[in-house]
Amino acid sequence: MAEFAGYLPGFSKEQVEWQALNFGAGSSSLRVSVPLLSEAQMIVLCERVERSANDYLKNRSVTDIIDIIDRTIARLLTRDDFFRLKAEKFLPVVTGYDSEMVRLALTKYLKTFRKPELTRFLAEDFPNPQILDSFQPLTKGGFGRAFGPNLLAHIWAGNVPGLPVWSLVAGLLVKAGSVGKVSSAEPLFAGWFANALAETEPEIADCFAVVWWKGGEKTQERNLFIRADAVFAYGSTKTLGEIRDSLPVSTRFLGHGHKVSFGIISAAALNTRKAQITARMAAQDIAVFDQQGCYSPQIFYVERGARVSPRQFAGYLANELACLEEKYPRRALTPAEARDVAKWRQKEELKTLSDAEIEVLRDDEGAWVVVYYNDSVDLSPSGLNRTIKVVAVDTPMQVPSHVQSFRDVLQSVGVAATPEELHLIAKALGGVGVTRISGIGSMSSPEAGWHHDGRFNLKDLVTITEIESSAETVSETLAPYLD
Amino acid sequence: MTFGDRVVLVTGASRGIGAEIARAFAREGAAVAVNFVKNANAANTVVEQCKEEGNEAAAFQADVTDIDSGTRLIDEVMRHYGKIDILVNNAFRPYKFEPEKRKMFWELDWDHYWSQIEGTLLSTHTLCKAVVPLMTQVRKGAIVNVATDLVERPTIPYHDYTTAKAALIGFSKNLAAELGPLGIRVNCVAPGLVFPTDATLSTPEEAKDEIIENTPLGRLAKPKDVAGPVLFLASDWSGFMTGQTLYVDGGLVMK
Repeated sequence: MAEFAGYLPGFSKEQVEWQALNFGAGSSSLRVSVPLLSEAQMIVLCERVERSANDYLKNRSVTDIIDIIDRTIARLLTRDDFFRLKAEKFLPVVTGYDSEMVRLALTKYLKTFRKPELTRFLAEDFPNPQILDSFQPLTKGGFGRAFGPNLLAHIWAGNVPGLPVWSLVAGLLVKAGSVGKVSSAEPLFAGWFANALAETEPEIADCFAVVWWKGGEKTQERNLFIRADAVFAYGSTKTLGEIRDSLPVSTRFLGHGHKVSFGIISAAALNTRKAQITARMAAQDIAVFDQQGCYSPQIFYVERGARVSPRQFAGYLANELACLEEKYPRRALTPAEARDVAKWRQKEELKTLSDAEIEVLRDDEGAWVVVYYNDSVDLSPSGLNRTIKVVAVDTPMQVPSHVQSFRDVLQSVGVAATPEELHLIAKALGGVGVTRISGIGSMSSPEAGWHHDGRFNLKDLVTITEIESSAETVSETLAPYLD
Repeated sequence: MTFGDRVVLVTGASRGIGAEIARAFAREGAAVAVNFVKNANAANTVVEQCKEEGNEAAAFQADVTDIDSGTRLIDEVMRHYGKIDILVNNAFRPYKFEPEKRKMFWELDWDHYWSQIEGTLLSTHTLCKAVVPLMTQVRKGAIVNVATDLVERPTIPYHDYTTAKAALIGFSKNLAAELGPLGIRVNCVAPGLVFPTDATLSTPEEAKDEIIENTPLGRLAKPKDVAGPVLFLASDWSGFMTGQTLYVDGGLVMK
């Protein structure tokens, strides 16, 4: 099978050089051609996107833009749509994820970009979204209008399929021209989304582009960055640091780096009926995209004192992971990943020799590992790919002290607790840097309009131009209708 | 090698549960006759997979819901292998398990029931009738029929389908009583919702989750889950069992 990645308005396939990336093996192997633009082509592309956004996107109302995105997403949610079929067929090959997991996750994810959700997304950052269309009265006096960047650069990671939709949608809502670079690990989805957008509304077809260059290749990166007003990047802390250091001071930088997430289970969720249900939801959070998301839990703190003990909960969790391995088998790991998992497991197994309070539960093939700690310990990253620690605590309120050393990288916490506990826990967690608290079982599905890593998605992209009341006063003295 | 010298005929074996049963028999040393109606390519793939296990396998086209065609199938397998030790009646008339679109009782005609009874019972009857004389000659044989756990617990009332399968279980018990004295055993395997198969691909997630919630083993059946009990009932391990139905649904039905 073969497929072209990218979206290059104004260029025909023949005008561009292509490089092949190979995925999968045997009858399900896939050859993805990614574009290798020349420097001159990259510059022409950036200029074209910026100009078109200026000519076409900036004049559209935000309601119009929401409508275009909504219609595009509706297509991608239709099972027999051309791009949807491609996504269901090729994404499992490219990412290695189980095809059912990809299919269900795509639907769950894409439906958070329908009209009602997009409206909420906007309202989260702009109480009056019309501020993106025209000058609106400000409460302090005067008028203000929000302007998005002329050119927004995106650097995408490949850990979670469909990821580029977030920042592309954000770019469209603030009427920015977008040039995004796909990851070699998942180079396809952004291109399909861009093509679908262009088919939905041909007038804005030149307002975005999807490109590729080899990781670490600085020339093209520079060509894009010096033209962009803002850069949206996903990647490791190291990659983000390098990008930030390479940007002109005036260029806004929005980086989403590696994060650590975890779960808290209160005794209330561990009665004889609920414990299993809680374990099932916790296992879902672990298995989705094999713990590759920033929202994937790496440790569960479980309260003692309920009918079902933390140790028994670990057993339920192990069983649910075994069931999920049947339902959505873990993808084949790269040798490096397999080594990391084995190393992590061996380290934990070694501890069990000298510490009777630690237990390792695992399946024969090592497709999942649950390590149980009877004595509470500080947060530490798991081996990923469905490896998890279950740590017993006397009370959930003990947890913040165990995670505070990770303050800079904490993100989501899946919580199963009573309403009273939830708010107490949230307060304590917010204090140590956690930015998102979700229900257990929903860790991998942030709601529409969430403040990614605690930041404003859209507000951070715009600048507000204000007409102060003094300008109005002066203009009134110069009005032609002055008596 | 549980089935080292045995010949097994599996109906509807080009895909889904049937294909998995065929491969499992091959893995345990049996020579496998892979029956299919339409999809010769899929059947040939299953044959190749069986051969990779180092065993004899061949594809046989026949619509088992047609009496002549079913009888001819037994003849052809006999000509090819010289005997049939095990018959697995797995084929059924295509049915979509769509809880939200199913026909309600008042929308069903007798023809709907008849179609399913033909698909399930007529085909099994035809093949058993043709194979029993061969098995009685050697005073040995095992027949395994694939039913459904819906017979015991109609989670979703698929009237026509489940009624036909209930008849199949009744048919099997009578046959077991008749053939026991002749050394031939007849049993059934009743799976819960099996996913993925062509018939269940469009079953909504919500419906699947509801079943999972009520299933002690916490998931849906996979084709390979069904193969194990079928092999057990076809093997000498179950030599003193006949007229039984094994439920393969993770504990949803307990009997």
